[in-house]
Amino acid sequence: MSECVVEFNGVNKAYRFFELRDVNLRLEAGQIMGLVGPNGAGKSTTIRILMALVQQDGGTVRVLGHSMPDDQAAAKRGVGFVSEDMGLYGGETLAWHMHFIARVYPSWDPDYARLLQRRFNLRPEQPIKGLSHGERVKAALLLVLARRPRLLVLDEPTTGLDPVARHEILNELMEVLSDERRAVLFSSHHTQDVEQISDQITFMDRGRIIDSSDKETFLERWRRIQLDVPTGIVLPMLPGVIDVQTDGRLAVATTNAYAPGLDAAYVRAGAVVREVQRMTLEEIFVANVMSSRKEVA
Amino acid sequence: MTGSIVGQLVLKDLYLTRWIAAGTMLAGLIALAIAPLGSTAFYVGSVSFVCVQIVLIVFLVTVGVVQEKKDKALLFILSLPVSTTQYTFAKMAANFIAYIVPWLLLTATCLAIIFASDIPDGMMPAVTAISLYFLCYYCVLLAVAIATESATWIPVVIVIGNVLINFFIPLVFRLPSGANLSSGSSTWGLDILAVLALEIALSAAALAIGFLAQTRKKNFV
Repeated sequence: MSECVVEFNGVNKAYRFFELRDVNLRLEAGQIMGLVGPNGAGKSTTIRILMALVQQDGGTVRVLGHSMPDDQAAAKRGVGFVSEDMGLYGGETLAWHMHFIARVYPSWDPDYARLLQRRFNLRPEQPIKGLSHGERVKAALLLVLARRPRLLVLDEPTTGLDPVARHEILNELMEVLSDERRAVLFSSHHTQDVEQISDQITFMDRGRIIDSSDKETFLERWRRIQLDVPTGIVLPMLPGVIDVQTDGRLAVATTNAYAPGLDAAYVRAGAVVREVQRMTLEEIFVANVMSSRKEVA
Repeated sequence: MTGSIVGQLVLKDLYLTRWIAAGTMLAGLIALAIAPLGSTAFYVGSVSFVCVQIVLIVFLVTVGVVQEKKDKALLFILSLPVSTTQYTFAKMAANFIAYIVPWLLLTATCLAIIFASDIPDGMMPAVTAISLYFLCYYCVLLAVAIATESATWIPVVIVIGNVLINFFIPLVFRLPSGANLSSGSSTWGLDILAVLALEIALSAAALAIGFLAQTRKKNFV
């Protein structure tokens, strides 16, 4: 069994207008988990609890074998954290930040830092306040990657970036992720980014985890079935079908548990299966959220 | 590593506030150098000295504590291998060192100038009490900034601190042993000692309350 680097058990956190409910999460060494959800889903709260920036009201959190928040200093030695809204000291240069981090972390790799600096086209002598948003994210990423953390936690790192900066950052992450011992938790509402780099996907909405699985299983399980429904035929309620939209004779059934038997069941009911479509991660994400909201309502 | 991370955070904050501490020390020394040069110079020097003390307090707390939160560099620092208690301790210790060094230098220089110049030595107790007022003002502002990080409460404390000094200076000068302007020696009576003790106690209490309030927080960002 692989080493568990992040473990959430029944974690709750209540704010005045938002509640994180019964979050259970497990991330193993070498896994790359994409945490996907709309704005306000609870992704950042989950990550802040993981980093002990916010203390949970109930439940347990373990990071790299350490209990959070009690043993946070020891846990954070092996964690690299970059957040979209993380700032650096505006009046100081990137070189100053690099020296500071190098003094804190014995694992700091100056050669790798120089390599990243060239790849990201960053000038170490430039004050942080003169950098663009994309350059600031790259600088924060450099400060984290060059100390080679065992767990990388990225909270919406590509939000607000132009396509080129986003591409550069994702490419660098892909390369970093080739280290099979390193685990990554990556939150985003850009499903394309998540699909590109993650092997595990967890969907969140309104403070709850609504689904979690490996990427391939998601893509295999979810299908959209286009049907021709002759007049007088009523489509049966089939297990695993979470939504059916009809427009005259046309119907589209969305399933999260696709099996070839499903087509046959519709045919037996008198419908004609016109097409079975695979869904993109974005479509799966939206369908999952809408289905979850319908269940809650 | 635990000891060294606190040390690194303290050094980092001392570095970031070095110009404020150095600049106000220099300005304060110039103000004090002017004071013994005559009655107008005494007035200009004294008022400038008070202004420098206020600038030192407000800038140190603003740059050292408030700015970090405003720039969102707090997230960066708290992502380092540091507990929230260690972070709070390092933050308060660094800011206190950055304040106490100029404060001690300026207070000692002020007392030395009174002792060495024609300014009556009887002013020493009142000047000490006024210096301790600034220490107390700083400690309360630091505690409020650390515990609340509030854009409302910090200006409120600054306004109160700046207004109260206008009442405090005449008050200590009116104390029987506060300032004997005709005497060649200072009198450290119970009245002035009580004021000094109260100021020190208030300063210590403010720091302790600020530290405890911050370390008991459940949400740091």
